[in-house]
Amino acid sequence: MSGTAQPGKVVMPLAEALEKLAKLEQASKLEEADDLATRMLAAMPEHPHILQLAGIVSYRSGRVAEAIERMEKSQALSPDVALYPRNICEVYRGAGRLDDALRAGKLAVELAPEDSRSYFNLALIHYERLELDDAVRVAEQAVAYDPEFAEAHFEKAEALLLAGRLKEGWESYEWRFKLKQAEGMLPKTEKPQWEGQAMEPGKLLIIGDQGFGDCIQFARFIPWAAQLAPQPVVACSAELLPLLRQLPGIGKIVTRWDDAAGFEAFIPLSGLPRLAGATTENIPASGYLEPKPDLVAHWGAKLERLMPKGKKRIALVWAGRPTHKNDKKRSLKLSQFAPIFVRDDVAVITVQKGDQIAQAGGYYGHAPLVNLGPEIEDFLDTMAILKHVDRLVTIDTSVAHVAGASNVPTFVLLPYAPDWRWLLNRNDTPWYPSLRLYRQNAPYQWEDVIRRAAADL
Amino acid sequence: MNGLGTKDELCPCGSGLRQVRCCAADKAQWPSEETAALLDEKAGEATKLFNEKQYGEAEALALKILDVAPNHRAALRVLFEIRHAQKRIKAADALGVRLAGLPGPQALRALANGQYAQYLVAQGRHVEALPFATAAVKAAPKSAQAHHVLGVVFTETGAVLAGERHYRQALALLGAEDGMVLGNLAWNLKLQGRLSEAEALYTKALALRPDNMRGTGGLAQVIFTKGDRPRADALLDEALGRWPNDRMLRLLKVMADLACQRSQAALERLGPPETQMPPELLARGRAFMQLGQMQEAIGAIATARAMQRERTGLLYQPEALLPQAERDKAYFTGDRIRPLPRAEAGAFTPVFLLGFPRAGSSLLEQLLAQISGFAPGDEAGPVAELTKAAAGMLGGEYPECLDEMLVGNEAGVPGRLREMYEAPLRAMGLARLGVRFITDRAGSNAWHLGLIKLLYPEAPIIHVLRHPYDLVLSNIAQDRKLEANAQAGLPGLARYFALQAEMIRHYRGQLSLRYLPVRYEDLVADPDAAVRRVLGFIGVEVELPPGFAANSLPVAEPLPAHFAGRTAVHGRAAWRFKPYRAALPNLFAEVAPVLDPWVSELGYEEQGA
Repeated sequence: MSGTAQPGKVVMPLAEALEKLAKLEQASKLEEADDLATRMLAAMPEHPHILQLAGIVSYRSGRVAEAIERMEKSQALSPDVALYPRNICEVYRGAGRLDDALRAGKLAVELAPEDSRSYFNLALIHYERLELDDAVRVAEQAVAYDPEFAEAHFEKAEALLLAGRLKEGWESYEWRFKLKQAEGMLPKTEKPQWEGQAMEPGKLLIIGDQGFGDCIQFARFIPWAAQLAPQPVVACSAELLPLLRQLPGIGKIVTRWDDAAGFEAFIPLSGLPRLAGATTENIPASGYLEPKPDLVAHWGAKLERLMPKGKKRIALVWAGRPTHKNDKKRSLKLSQFAPIFVRDDVAVITVQKGDQIAQAGGYYGHAPLVNLGPEIEDFLDTMAILKHVDRLVTIDTSVAHVAGASNVPTFVLLPYAPDWRWLLNRNDTPWYPSLRLYRQNAPYQWEDVIRRAAADL
Repeated sequence: MNGLGTKDELCPCGSGLRQVRCCAADKAQWPSEETAALLDEKAGEATKLFNEKQYGEAEALALKILDVAPNHRAALRVLFEIRHAQKRIKAADALGVRLAGLPGPQALRALANGQYAQYLVAQGRHVEALPFATAAVKAAPKSAQAHHVLGVVFTETGAVLAGERHYRQALALLGAEDGMVLGNLAWNLKLQGRLSEAEALYTKALALRPDNMRGTGGLAQVIFTKGDRPRADALLDEALGRWPNDRMLRLLKVMADLACQRSQAALERLGPPETQMPPELLARGRAFMQLGQMQEAIGAIATARAMQRERTGLLYQPEALLPQAERDKAYFTGDRIRPLPRAEAGAFTPVFLLGFPRAGSSLLEQLLAQISGFAPGDEAGPVAELTKAAAGMLGGEYPECLDEMLVGNEAGVPGRLREMYEAPLRAMGLARLGVRFITDRAGSNAWHLGLIKLLYPEAPIIHVLRHPYDLVLSNIAQDRKLEANAQAGLPGLARYFALQAEMIRHYRGQLSLRYLPVRYEDLVADPDAAVRRVLGFIGVEVELPPGFAANSLPVAEPLPAHFAGRTAVHGRAAWRFKPYRAALPNLFAEVAPVLDPWVSELGYEEQGA
């Protein structure tokens, strides 16, 4: 019977199958893609492009080791294909293997010296390795080959800002609205972006464009803007409304574009530092947020009842929004804070919000822990609670900004290559004097960071 | 012929009647009382034959009468008694229910319901007996007997306060002291922990009825729980002298032996294993455990459990638990619970002691009870009972009905439920002057932390943890019924543990609970430190009394039953699974996949376990 097709078996030409696999991956239909990749690999285990695509599918499905194995094999089989080191460079980065990532990134550039994407990937690696001059240089090469490459401009901005070169950084930072993920952040309008000129009262629209943390951080520039364009309208999400309302000089705050009509110019909140000419030397002081006295009293009485006496109250946030692009780098598991939990003199108050709050259900440490998250309605509650703790220990998330803006003593745990705002080589920050920074000494290595923070409590 | 039965087919209940004259009868076709009365003379003959023990003839005549008049009371009574004596339970059940449901004079209805309730009580079917015992009291509110039976039913279904009320009514109606009722009332008070009153009543009851063997056993248990072990021992010895072959008394004596670490004496008293029933085999297993004879211990326990599986079909049945757990998980989420109203603070603070059976929550309750301001509530008023009340007040099913509290005047429901929780604690004398904290160690609390959050939003919840392997090992040796028959074997225990642990994890992740885990291993290693930690968490500043860890300081009544096992704190049972695992490497093989993730999550892995 050899030579005849098996009944029911559909044979697809290789090119068609490869195209289908690529499309499934791009459409994030990972289960289907995985199934197809497995079948294709079974038929052709040494095909470099199948291995490459299967590796990408593995990576996106969270099977990093398998991804690397497949992609390395693919690269070994076709060492001259520039795409392969370019891809695996990103996978190595995600796995924290920065030396391998750098080697692959350089190889990709070598094989495709005019490919802007390869330069961009390499710039990311340099950022992760804190080689910021190299990151800027390589990002500029990417831009040289593709002047409209928004991601590369933005990467350059982040490297400049992290290096403390704020004035230069703000210029490239303007490219952020051309990033894919920025779509819809600004209103569809013919009105111009504000350039810092004087305006009639109520005619400037300030938009809380970034995440909660950014908005809280940049809100300090609103009073400066209000001096030039009095009574600006501030558009922000409902969660931020009770906080931003505290800033002086605002005309009105809205949470819907329709309510913002009548403005003559607009400016994203994250554009204010550039206009204000912010450097590390002239950042407006923090302390611009204050909890409401009635909430402070309410939570104070509650904590007095709930918390054991004679122990340091340590508030804790261990995870950020999972959809944040750097969440893998910044978020931890509650159980990783064990060096704090073994201390006899500590009681823990978790002010974590979101799905990760459920981790508190699996806490069985020595230090008493009260999971306050389920009772917290909004940032005003959080701010009021933080007035009654000895210290907040948090990852780089919005609560760190709430604490900083209201001068709460806080330890912030930072990844090796942090977000630009935390700068480098310092354990303080000009943005928030009450914050002390604990940095990783090596990528993804939290043990030492938490041990140091726990010892300093 | 399959499928539909013919009109002559005998009833499958086994009554001996035709189906159409028994369980499939059309009641509308039954003759009127007057017509049925035409057969009274024949029925009288049947009764006479029965009383003269001519059972075959009595049965034949009763069947004939009932074929004509299926509702004839006297004939039904005769047939019921015969089937009951024959242990044809299904038939007796059907006939008994029919008798109890017959219309007629109040006195007859009371009698029929009361007798059927007693029939069920004698089989230990107390829950089923409740409606009949209730109907008997309603039909004859002046009947001491009816009140007595209802007292038994309430007491044995956990409604001890209601039970006490009916026993006392029975005594009042009798107008004289009755040894049996007094003895039963004494047992009720024993269950409430009112030991001195129970002792006095038992003494009186036994003076009236010295032949009350159960009462003698009950008195011994009361005295043992009060801590006078030598006197309890002497009483049991004396009783065994009178009733040397009584297994219940012998087992009580064995329990006393085991509580006093007289393991060898317990083994000798139990006699050869071939004659032993599961409760005795389990006691044998525990005696071997005390002696460190692991192979023999597990052998005895395994035999007991196998016997239970074979004879009574005992097996873990979580079918009722699983959907309720899923329903509670789906309902009790942070966002859904946050807006619900809460009860205001009450007169005292319950301290909820969570813990899988055998985790050590009773030890913690005993230790705390020695501290001024604490009273041991044990399982006096389970929050679980309030779920039905909540559904009744709000309409709909629990827990979804709790949403109704968001509407109209229902915001006061948590306060009303809290009142219902506190009422029995007051009635039992637990909530009294000087008591600030009442511990509540109802096993069902693990399922109801959501409701607890609404009634006592800031009550401390102390969770006694113990290594999961030790928990299943200890439970498998106990003669104690657990929810869903989890005691049937190690796999069931492991799954039940995981189910409960998941539920607690869910609540803790979704609700702000004032929760503190305490390890049994720490509690027995350094009781002073562990209890100080608990007190610090609760917010009590007090010096521990001298001799605290000896666990023998006086504690005011009411005293829970577990005080019978009160003993100085010791670490003999901590990490017991280790030598067992070394000696019997496969003992935990089946439960390891279920328990090992919990060993890790609970932090026992780090402790080198």
